Amino acid sequence: MNTNARTARLVLRARRALACYAVLLVPLALLAVFVYLPVVWAFSKSLFEFEIGGESTFIGLSNYIEFLAADPTTYVGLVNMLIFTGAAVAIRLTVPLIVAKLIVSLQGERWRHVYRVVFLLPVVVSGVAVLLIWSGLIYSQNGLLNEFLRVCGMERWCRTWLGDPSTAMAAVIFIGFPWVGGFEVLIYYAGLSAIPDSVNEAAALEGCTGLRKFLLIDVPMVISQLKLMLVLTIIAGIQGFQNLLIITRGGPGYATFVPGLQMYYNAFSYQRFGYACAIGVILFLLIFGLTVINMKYFKSSEELQAAA
Amino acid sequence: MTRRMTQTWLHVALIALAVPTLLPFVFVLNNSVRSSSEMLHGYFGAPRAARAAAVCAWRALTGAPGASTIITDAKESRALSHAAACRWHLRALARNHRDAWRILRPYMLNTFWVVACVAAGVFVLGTAAAFVLSRFPFPGRKVVFYYFISTMMFPSVLMLVPSFLLVKQLGLLNSYSALIIPMVAGGQVFAVFVFKSFFDGLSQDLFDAAKIDGAGLFSLYWHLLLPLSQPVIAVVMIMNILGTWNSFLWPFIVNTDSKYHIVASGLYIMSASESASNPGVLFAAYIITSIPLLALFACATRPFMQGMTSGAFKA
Repeated sequence: MNTNARTARLVLRARRALACYAVLLVPLALLAVFVYLPVVWAFSKSLFEFEIGGESTFIGLSNYIEFLAADPTTYVGLVNMLIFTGAAVAIRLTVPLIVAKLIVSLQGERWRHVYRVVFLLPVVVSGVAVLLIWSGLIYSQNGLLNEFLRVCGMERWCRTWLGDPSTAMAAVIFIGFPWVGGFEVLIYYAGLSAIPDSVNEAAALEGCTGLRKFLLIDVPMVISQLKLMLVLTIIAGIQGFQNLLIITRGGPGYATFVPGLQMYYNAFSYQRFGYACAIGVILFLLIFGLTVINMKYFKSSEELQAAA
Repeated sequence: MTRRMTQTWLHVALIALAVPTLLPFVFVLNNSVRSSSEMLHGYFGAPRAARAAAVCAWRALTGAPGASTIITDAKESRALSHAAACRWHLRALARNHRDAWRILRPYMLNTFWVVACVAAGVFVLGTAAAFVLSRFPFPGRKVVFYYFISTMMFPSVLMLVPSFLLVKQLGLLNSYSALIIPMVAGGQVFAVFVFKSFFDGLSQDLFDAAKIDGAGLFSLYWHLLLPLSQPVIAVVMIMNILGTWNSFLWPFIVNTDSKYHIVASGLYIMSASESASNPGVLFAAYIITSIPLLALFACATRPFMQGMTSGAFKA
């Protein structure tokens, strides 16, 4: 009797577990084939030299050595990547936060809502369209920027901003100026509006207002949002090349060339898929290392509060 | 400084930032109704057709005598009644949009189809998997969850080339499946992660009560879990739709056949082929491709704002 009951319970549990796995079957299978298999391939194929449909030869770590020591474009790309990433971090950690602070300081929920919607509005325009708008409407020979300079009598400053090696990189960084249309404002706004009233009131009582309040109280209170943004921006900076592919293709010359483009060209222009996989793996390791460092050494605001 | 003045300065600062943020789009809108010959003289200025239409409308309203003259495409001048001339100019105003729509329509339809399939897949798989992972203790649950979230550490730059090789090997290049299947596979992870943390916070009492009332697995999912989770589902689905809509690189690489372009890759191809002859059509295309997302946000701003500010997005 007792054994029967136990068997029945076991059968029931087994059936329930089977039902759970039946639900999970499709998601797990999709992950196995379309995520884990490519990851394994990225590592394994980076050890080969091959073209699609051609012979593949095992060449050990030669692809990695070529990227790190022989390829003349590697160094240029890495330096550009650092500059782009540094600029993106400096921009995305400051300007949207300031705008969010301005919005939070407004009285009346209606106005706060209006401005949040206004600064969210640009996300409805496809990212590709935004890039093409900047390269076609603003930076081109007869674009708004040059027109504006002509109106101001500064004709000698006119140029094709993305086509001139000395300005291409700055022009790319300035795309989206003043860099406040998007989700960042909302994310910071969420953090700032979550600061408890007691904290704000205490600060006001202590006479801590304005810039001092912003730096000493608001910024530490949104550290977890800043940290999230820092991580996302760095990851995007290391692997991002889609925008550059659309507007400059890395040029003129190598002025806006980055390792992501190097990977793209090696794969889809030169058919060097093994080498491209190796570049992908190296960029992954870079991202992975930085993420680990970030998780280990930067504390979130919850942890800061717990420590205080 | 008085509080009133501070508020005024805040508005001034915010408007000063909002204007340059939105100004490029105003220029795009304005130039999308100007002809290419007008744009040869620069991107400033009101559209000629709009001015002409306004003049004709004014004449028609005031009952001015005589007729309005229009210049047809064949460079012939024709005399029309004021009202007819006004209609003619208004049609000319939308010419770029009509031309752009002719090119974009297949891309837009492709995008709607792909976005709908990906969103449906992510919704069904994401909620179901998160439901099971959150509410049912079964052996290996932890392992399965880690199996899910570990994929978040693989950046797209690592996956791009091998994913392309895989899709090629599977013979999926130039098909809807090449977009839909990998996007569902990758997109479900974020959904499961967010959904599970939300489901974990729901009270177990509700589920126990429903079970006592005789609710089955599906009934719990459909009548209890989904209605309770509407805001978080809205946010994740909007993010997913936005991501698919804006995805450029993957569609650009796997679907080179123009039959399968979606708007992002389509716009790029269009800009490379069309812009030299007529930037107005391109500007009109930017406007047209923005309308669906504008509609989406118009319908879902409130739940989206609530979801975004509820703290689902922080490290």
